[in-house]
Amino acid sequence: MKNKTNQITLIYFVISLFLAIICHKYLLNNISNTQYYYFSFIKDLVFIILTGLLFRYILSKNDARNITVFEKLKKSNDEIKESNEKYNIVAKATSDTIWDWKIQEDNITWNKGIESVFGYKPEEVGDSSRWWFDKIHPEDSIRMSVKLYSFIEQKTEKWQDQYRFRCADATYKYVLHRSFLLKDENGRATRMIGAIQDITKQKEEEQRLKLLETVITQSRDSILITEADSHDGKIPQIVYVNPSFSKMSGYQSEEIVGKSPNIFKGPKSDSSELRKLIKAIKNKEECSIETISYTKNKEEYWVRYSMIPIFNSENEVSHWISIQRDTTEEKKLEKEKEHLIRELTQNNKDLKQFSYITSHNLRSPLSNLTGLLNLIEDIPIENEELKEILNGFNKSTHLLNETINDLVKVIIIKDNPSIQKEEVLLNEVFENVFNQLNFQIELHKPIIKLNFEKVTVLNINKAYLESILLNLLTNSIKYRSKDRKLKITISANQTEDSIILTFKDNGIGIDLERNRDKVFGLYQRFHNYPDSKGLGLYLVKSQVETMGGTISIDSEVDKGTSFTLIFKNK
Amino acid sequence: MFDQILCIDDDPIALMLCKKVITKAEFSKEIMTAQNGEEALLYFNSLKYNTKPTDLNDKKPRLIFLDLNMPVMGGWEFLDHFSTSNYSDFNTTNIIILSSTIDPEDLEKAKNYPMILDFLSKPITLQMLEYIKNKMSI
Repeated sequence: MKNKTNQITLIYFVISLFLAIICHKYLLNNISNTQYYYFSFIKDLVFIILTGLLFRYILSKNDARNITVFEKLKKSNDEIKESNEKYNIVAKATSDTIWDWKIQEDNITWNKGIESVFGYKPEEVGDSSRWWFDKIHPEDSIRMSVKLYSFIEQKTEKWQDQYRFRCADATYKYVLHRSFLLKDENGRATRMIGAIQDITKQKEEEQRLKLLETVITQSRDSILITEADSHDGKIPQIVYVNPSFSKMSGYQSEEIVGKSPNIFKGPKSDSSELRKLIKAIKNKEECSIETISYTKNKEEYWVRYSMIPIFNSENEVSHWISIQRDTTEEKKLEKEKEHLIRELTQNNKDLKQFSYITSHNLRSPLSNLTGLLNLIEDIPIENEELKEILNGFNKSTHLLNETINDLVKVIIIKDNPSIQKEEVLLNEVFENVFNQLNFQIELHKPIIKLNFEKVTVLNINKAYLESILLNLLTNSIKYRSKDRKLKITISANQTEDSIILTFKDNGIGIDLERNRDKVFGLYQRFHNYPDSKGLGLYLVKSQVETMGGTISIDSEVDKGTSFTLIFKNK
Repeated sequence: MFDQILCIDDDPIALMLCKKVITKAEFSKEIMTAQNGEEALLYFNSLKYNTKPTDLNDKKPRLIFLDLNMPVMGGWEFLDHFSTSNYSDFNTTNIIILSSTIDPEDLEKAKNYPMILDFLSKPITLQMLEYIKNKMSI
């Protein structure tokens, strides 16, 4: 630059010197007065030199100023370039989507986030603020426009907000929006720079946690959270109680946080249960107790109370969670139930006693009648009519006696749920039964098939089994068909855990469609036979069930009947 | 044939029946009766105090038919008194419970009294007496 100044100065010198020499030559040739030639020439020279120097000074001064301005400019240029580069790097690195809105021109530009986060291709992105605003969820947009205008009017300093922003695929993402304003010298907003952060994940997590929290806040059960460690053998201090707890205990959260749940203890609390709890806390074990607690107003209530240790990642107890439930009502019901059971048991006992006494009082005169009739048997009676009357008297008495004996059996079976069982040989039992029915078997000569090869021994009450088989056999004989020879098949089978006895005949059968519910009922008769009392099957069922077995019937009218008896093996 | 037996029952018909059947079966020469346990105890008391000890063995009943359900003093109460030392003179007497009871508890109770020979159900019959005879001769 210095050289250029010198150059200009030199050119100036050369030209002015050239002009001065031309003028001097011209004067020499055309003007005769030569006296001042040299003087004038020297004066010109001096003038040229002086102005030349002055010119140079001014020029060089100007130059120096230019250089500093240029350097300043260059520096700020570099800075801008650098910050631009930084901006680009940050814009690339950040997950935020950044936009720049020139307010007056209503021109908005977006960084790449609009594509990578929200899926808009560059050609889809609009360049006005309207495009941005259209993408805000309708439910958020009114709130956002109010905020935006108050921000542009600079009524608010900072603007940070959350709203839902629509993506290219028409889904919405939760975003955190932050922006700031650039102002001109008059303080008017000219540009707004904004950053939009996708917080959908956080928001979803937040909502999930909120939902989980409602379990605690809305639960009907009381929930308490305490610290990990207990002091002076007390239950650790409370750090949180849910509303249900406040409702149950009468203590508000702020009254109770920082205290030990021991304050719920009172004179009627079960101290052995509480000791159990303290021990479990010491051992860091889950524990559940039930005790009487006291509300703030010292009213007692039953509470079922569990303490569950919460372990952190280092496997140390960080808190205890306690779930409590007011069981006062349950306890009351339980007591009522116990009372009811006691009353019922007593009633049952009384009734049983009553039935014993009644049956005793019935049996006493009846036994007299039987005894007296036995005596009459040996006395010869001449009078035919008296003989007939006594005969009827005898029959009725015996029938009455049988009925009462059957009823007595029922009463005793019902009273004896745990009867003694023994190993019984099936064949032996059948022999006994056949002996008792000898007369009838001889009379009707039924075909009886026994199939006891698979099972020979039963663990059962012998007297009951005999009674059951006697009843079933008597029934088969009594209700045989007159059109065909009676055939009875009895077989025993064994499954893994039970023994099955089947008893089958080809008699007149029972109409099960009409009578299924009544077959085993008390005093149910299905055929008008003079000596049927409607007790046999009832007795059989009672006896089978008393021994822990089941009985079922299958029957078809005029085809036959089969009974299946199942007894547990053990 | 026994010399003497005692029937304790509050039911006069039952007592009548006993007498008739026992007579018929020629089971005992003499049949004493009492209407309840207390009356029976009184009878044993009078036997004890009015009889010379040497005669007592011949005079005392060998067998008692005892009903359970009686007014004033029932069968069980009678047995409780009768098995005390006050009546040790008679502790060789056999007792047959003859009752209409069906209460299984009564049957269980009977096992606690060694002097009870058997527990039989009314009415008394010739076969029953035959059975007792056999049982006692063994």
